[in-house]
Amino acid sequence: MELQKFTYDNRLSRLFLQATVFWGLIGMLVGLTIAIELVWPLMTNGVSWLSFGRLRPLHTNAVIFAFVGNGMFTGIYYSTPRLLKTPMYSKMLGNIHFWGWQLIIVAAVFTLPLGITVSKEYAELEWPIDIAIAIIWVIFGINLIMTTVKRRVKHIYVAIWFYIATFVTVAVLHIVNSINIPVSLAKSYPVYAGIQDALVQWWYGHNAVAFFLTTPYLGLMYYFIPKAANRPIYSYKLSIIHFWALIFLYIWAGPHHLLYSALPDWVQALGVVFSIMLIAPSWGGMINGLLTLRGAWDKVREDPVLKMFVVGVTAYGMSTFEGPLLSLKSVNAISHFTDWTIAHVHIGTLGWNGMLTFGMIYWMLPRLYKTKLFSIKLANAHFWLATTGMLFFAVPLYFAAFTQSLMWKEFTEEGFLKYPNFIETVTQILPMYWLRVLGGTLYVTGVILMIYNVWKTMKMGAFVATEQDEAPALDKRKPNTDKGHRFLEGKPVLFTGLALIAILIGGMVEIIPMFMVKSNVPTIASVQPYTPLELEGRDIYVREGCYTCHSQMIRPFRSEVERYGDYTKAGETVYDHPFQFGSKRTGPDLAREGVKSSRNYKPDSWHYNHFLSPQKMVAESIMPPYSWIVEDDLDVSTTAAKIRVMMKMGVPYPEGFDERAVDHLKKQANQIAQGLRDGGIDVEDQKEVIALIAYIQRLGTDIYRDSNESIFSDK
Amino acid sequence: MTTENHNNNTEKDTYEIDTLTNDKLISEHSYDGIQELNNDMPTWWKWLFILSIVFAIVYLVRLWVFRADDLMQSKEFQSEMAAADLRKSEKDAGSAAFELMLLEDGASLAKGKETWDKICAVCHLIDGGGLVGPNMTDNYWIHGNKLEDLWRVVEEGVLEKGMIAYKDQLSQQQRLEVVSYILVDLVGSTPANPKEPQGELYE
Repeated sequence: MELQKFTYDNRLSRLFLQATVFWGLIGMLVGLTIAIELVWPLMTNGVSWLSFGRLRPLHTNAVIFAFVGNGMFTGIYYSTPRLLKTPMYSKMLGNIHFWGWQLIIVAAVFTLPLGITVSKEYAELEWPIDIAIAIIWVIFGINLIMTTVKRRVKHIYVAIWFYIATFVTVAVLHIVNSINIPVSLAKSYPVYAGIQDALVQWWYGHNAVAFFLTTPYLGLMYYFIPKAANRPIYSYKLSIIHFWALIFLYIWAGPHHLLYSALPDWVQALGVVFSIMLIAPSWGGMINGLLTLRGAWDKVREDPVLKMFVVGVTAYGMSTFEGPLLSLKSVNAISHFTDWTIAHVHIGTLGWNGMLTFGMIYWMLPRLYKTKLFSIKLANAHFWLATTGMLFFAVPLYFAAFTQSLMWKEFTEEGFLKYPNFIETVTQILPMYWLRVLGGTLYVTGVILMIYNVWKTMKMGAFVATEQDEAPALDKRKPNTDKGHRFLEGKPVLFTGLALIAILIGGMVEIIPMFMVKSNVPTIASVQPYTPLELEGRDIYVREGCYTCHSQMIRPFRSEVERYGDYTKAGETVYDHPFQFGSKRTGPDLAREGVKSSRNYKPDSWHYNHFLSPQKMVAESIMPPYSWIVEDDLDVSTTAAKIRVMMKMGVPYPEGFDERAVDHLKKQANQIAQGLRDGGIDVEDQKEVIALIAYIQRLGTDIYRDSNESIFSDK
Repeated sequence: MTTENHNNNTEKDTYEIDTLTNDKLISEHSYDGIQELNNDMPTWWKWLFILSIVFAIVYLVRLWVFRADDLMQSKEFQSEMAAADLRKSEKDAGSAAFELMLLEDGASLAKGKETWDKICAVCHLIDGGGLVGPNMTDNYWIHGNKLEDLWRVVEEGVLEKGMIAYKDQLSQQQRLEVVSYILVDLVGSTPANPKEPQGELYE
């Protein structure tokens, strides 16, 4: 058959590569900043947009969606046309994808530090940006699927399978988890509440790890490792089995983020067992990557690219073993809310995503610029800095996590908590936090070396904008006579459909009953909606990212019930749009902070002073001061609209309450402020801190209310 | 690893051999120059997968069919609390000889200070000068100045003022030590920033 000529366009890969390097550095520097803030809480004293709670979402979003996101697109736009022997379907869609994605990142860089956030982890961006993400993602998907349709190779290669699974799953996850009702351009509430919201969020959150950090990178691994080592893939059969097992099983594992929470036992159990079943499919990827290097180990010793790939794939194997381990309830009882989680995810991100990205860049760049890498020595130095940096990051945090968790759980002979003051358990692990800063610094130093190396290589070479290739056309009239999986590989659209079905099942089985079957969220009659002031206070809590350090989920353990009060019930969370369980206890749990008989109860004046200067109340506290909350006036211009949105979502405020909301708010604010003034604190009614105190003092109190009568009835 | 026992003998001719590993390459599997080997999945890997599936089935059956106590967290919590209560009641039975009497020995007062610094100082400051809670060094008292008065406040709290009950958080002995520390060491000392007097003057 006649050979057709066509070109590969390298320009988009280059753009994405540059964006990867740029945002990678930014995202990691933000991470380093917040790591330093934990040991030096007064570093950014009084600057709201530099506080830990606001920057932590920026760090996670930047490294996930900007660094790894751009990294995955670099590799996808480079490998897809070559694997399918055709240019990408549309240059225009590719360019819209690139610039759209960068604009979304820029929007995140501005909105997150301003406190414009939904507060659902890795899904913090507000609704207009969410819509932009959905549109850009679908544009990417159309470009990808249409390229497979236009291909000149009969069968699609395993890398493409993973790209397809990435596209369909992330689309589903993002859209379902981001269904919010807007109050204004910069504020919305999720339609889901409490434990249901938590389940949807962690179905999303866990699978953001699975389908944003894992599957696309497995695709990249399947292209760049055999290319760099010039070796065949170890086992095609393994590719098939581990691919389908991985995408089918992964989607079920989300509930392991909510073990021992108010989630029903049956959903938790599914989270446990599907996590355990993920070990083999995950390791299937690791094996296929590492064993592909058989016969090339001599090259691994010399080539920094292969070295990075080996450490990256090994880190993948480690974290995908550790993940299931952490999903066992007995291990999770110790690990959850501690730095163990932080260490775990950084083995995955610094090791797997980081190393694979760096290796890919060092391999691709000389080919894009028709030259040699400027310095192999620098690349080797980068390799060692990244590897030691990762270890200095993770190992101290494992130690910190064990130490702190055991301190939380230790009882004295007399049967009382050995460390009743949370701060003791923080002070104990601060040296480990310093070591983490050291690890992060090493890692970032490596990235800076890479940037220099990339820049020098670019200057040395001449950019190859397009490359010629030729292949015979694919005869579409010829019937597909393949058997089994091979048949499917010749039908990319059908393949996409089946992948979609595989990833829908798990989520549906877990999520739908949580909404349809009432017994999964037993109602508690005395639980009532937040007052307008409390709701505004809650929005400040969300804005400041308090959930990044404080949980609101007391687990049913003696040690937690002793420390924080009765464990959290599902029915208590039904008006929480969004839920605020948190996932890390850098500070104590706040779920029952307002309960007067609890160990944690503090009077309003304590909270006022504490927001102004945590160190004044708890000398060794690592919480930053929130002076702006004390100084700024509360914005009540959208209070009525917020109540209306809540009512639309079924929160039972009395008819027409939205119109009385601001009056109600002012009355309650006056009471609290008057109480503070009586205690000698000079504060005005309309300050934000009043609303936040109102919310904090409401936390966890509803189940102790004597009467089930509406608190809004006569007002 | 198990290339020899491959059952695709009929197509034997179509295989090429990878010279570095002697494994069979699958013909027509070439993507941008990437070839694929016909290796089977490693046996240990298959067993790992099968065992994890068995684990999953056993786990779910234990919960859903046999309602195993250790997989239901409310049951787990009940048994943990019951065990703790049992230990506590044994302890209380052993310490029946407790007497509410001011402690004045150095060791007890040192222990009292330890508790004070750890818990009470959050609201009353380390030197007792008072912050959110009242000054404990002067002779003004809101709830009385006798050992029994202080004991009651520590035990029951003054909930409406934010003073919480320590009955369930400190042992009898610890409560007595800290109350003694207040009366013996703190009262009459001079804190750095004393809060203004509250309550009535007791001479």
